[in-house]
Amino acid sequence: MIPDRKYFSAGWAVAWRYLHNLYTKPAVFVPGLIFPLFFLAAFAGGLSAVGDTPKFDYYDFTAFQFCFILIQASALAGVFVGFSIAGDFEQGMGRRMMLATSRRSSILLGYAIGAALRLIVVWVIITGVSLLAGMEVRGSGYDLVGMYSLGLLANVVALLFSAGIAFRFRSLQAGPLMQMPVFIALFLAPVYVPQELLTGWIEPVAKVNPVTALLNGARSLMAGDPTGILLAYGIAFGMIALLALWALRGLRRAEVAG
Amino acid sequence: MPEREAGQGAPNTQSNGIEVEGLVRQFKNGPKAVDGISLTVEPGEIYGFLGPNGAGKSTTVHMLTTLLPPTAGSARVAGLDVANQGAEVRKLIGAALQEAALDPNLTGREHMKLQTALHGLPREERVRRGDELIERVGLSSAADRRVGGYSGGMKRRLDLALALVHRPRVLFLDEPTTGLDPQSRASLWEEVTRLSTQDGVTVFLTTQYLEEADQLANRVGIIDAGKIAAEGTPSALKAEIGRPSVEVLPVDPERRGEAEQILLRFGTAVPAARDALSVRLNEGINELAAIVRSFDSAGIELASLGLNEPTLDDVFLAKTGRHLEGAGEADSAEMRLPEVEAAGSS
Repeated sequence: MIPDRKYFSAGWAVAWRYLHNLYTKPAVFVPGLIFPLFFLAAFAGGLSAVGDTPKFDYYDFTAFQFCFILIQASALAGVFVGFSIAGDFEQGMGRRMMLATSRRSSILLGYAIGAALRLIVVWVIITGVSLLAGMEVRGSGYDLVGMYSLGLLANVVALLFSAGIAFRFRSLQAGPLMQMPVFIALFLAPVYVPQELLTGWIEPVAKVNPVTALLNGARSLMAGDPTGILLAYGIAFGMIALLALWALRGLRRAEVAG
Repeated sequence: MPEREAGQGAPNTQSNGIEVEGLVRQFKNGPKAVDGISLTVEPGEIYGFLGPNGAGKSTTVHMLTTLLPPTAGSARVAGLDVANQGAEVRKLIGAALQEAALDPNLTGREHMKLQTALHGLPREERVRRGDELIERVGLSSAADRRVGGYSGGMKRRLDLALALVHRPRVLFLDEPTTGLDPQSRASLWEEVTRLSTQDGVTVFLTTQYLEEADQLANRVGIIDAGKIAAEGTPSALKAEIGRPSVEVLPVDPERRGEAEQILLRFGTAVPAARDALSVRLNEGINELAAIVRSFDSAGIELASLGLNEPTLDDVFLAKTGRHLEGAGEADSAEMRLPEVEAAGSS
């Protein structure tokens, strides 16, 4: 069925409410912003000496860490949307939306639009802070668009994953189930040093971790030397396809549960 | 409020009824919350779905509003199958569920904006429709206040307005007046009646208040333990279970036996209030004068004499063998005729 005007109208309505509540409740918005800024300060600032490690061949440690923070912040912004979905179902708003929308996948679309718009603000802030901290950008405009696009895809992946859980559990108690796997996957990637410098158990784990491809792709784009981009996009789109099914089946589960 | 004809004055009666056949909902590893109910609601009718807590009222509403798929059976709302045409059904129905699902951070007007957009109303119509409904439910002065500060009655009225934004042909109200003060309740009844009589909206209303079903509904379905125990107009249901009863309280407790003998000439004994005597009349209300004369001629002075019409609670009792939970306090005052003081005194 082709989405019509009403479908997108419902999606925008869900997105509008999500953003309205986000920006009128600092208690919800600020933690989502503090989180990446804290990691940026801790990693790019506190661990800057790691950049002096022999064979650490990335041109700028702040830029190296920024790419991780970008992917991390984007993914966590997706997870936070899962929290909102669960909260809405817990408080009954989920039911209102289920009743008012003729095609319910527009609800998921609405949360996704809201998450993407939220992300822009997060990106502007972490990019601004990183530039103020002296981050050097070597990528061209196209490279940077590619890098931020990877961030957006990471956001959609995490959103679909957490939405699938939120629709199934419809309770904020499922928060750790949404957050922990994403958090673990992020930190099992080459966070502090390039992949080539990883040793021990983390090395093979990072090799098969899909986040690694996204991270390497983003770093190469930031450096103006794109490598592994097709792999990064391929993995991201593959995960989105799989997790879209997961989220939509979760939505069906929510429908069946009433 | 006089009993009304279904769909009276209804301009829109085109296939906006409800047809339910053998509807079942069984939850995982649980009993059947709804156990094979069948009912028909005519277009423009107000159908009262009466039953105690846990009887299956809300589960039925959830199935009819496509929030919950039936385990078995079928239901058509506005001519559409709820199981297979959910998206189309949702375009034609409005629902205000038991818990008014409102966002405490949004104002009343913002809720209208959200709801009109969720239903896909054209942008130019959204504000107009929202303002119109806010005014209709009497929330204009509070429209720009956050809903978190609304009273229960205001929330219910806003919920009703939200259910109406897309001009639904069938409206589901799940216990809409639970917890409301009498004034808010009356105002909501008035609006529901107007929707049915003037706009021709079919209303499916669940309630555990006998008075509400009696006053509002053209027809009533009584549900108990997931099954329909009785169905019909309130007056037909009451007539079905029978005749009114008379309850008397003799002034002199020692003449209670004589009073009982007199009463039993007119009917069969039924449970009465403490120290009082009550009989279900054999011939109906016409016997009241004869009863008064009998007490008068026997010289038995009465502290009170009351005529009790059958209530829906009596119907529920007759059909299920027990009283409806919470019945009595809300209904007895309205349903009983004024007592005739000291009828036998002379």
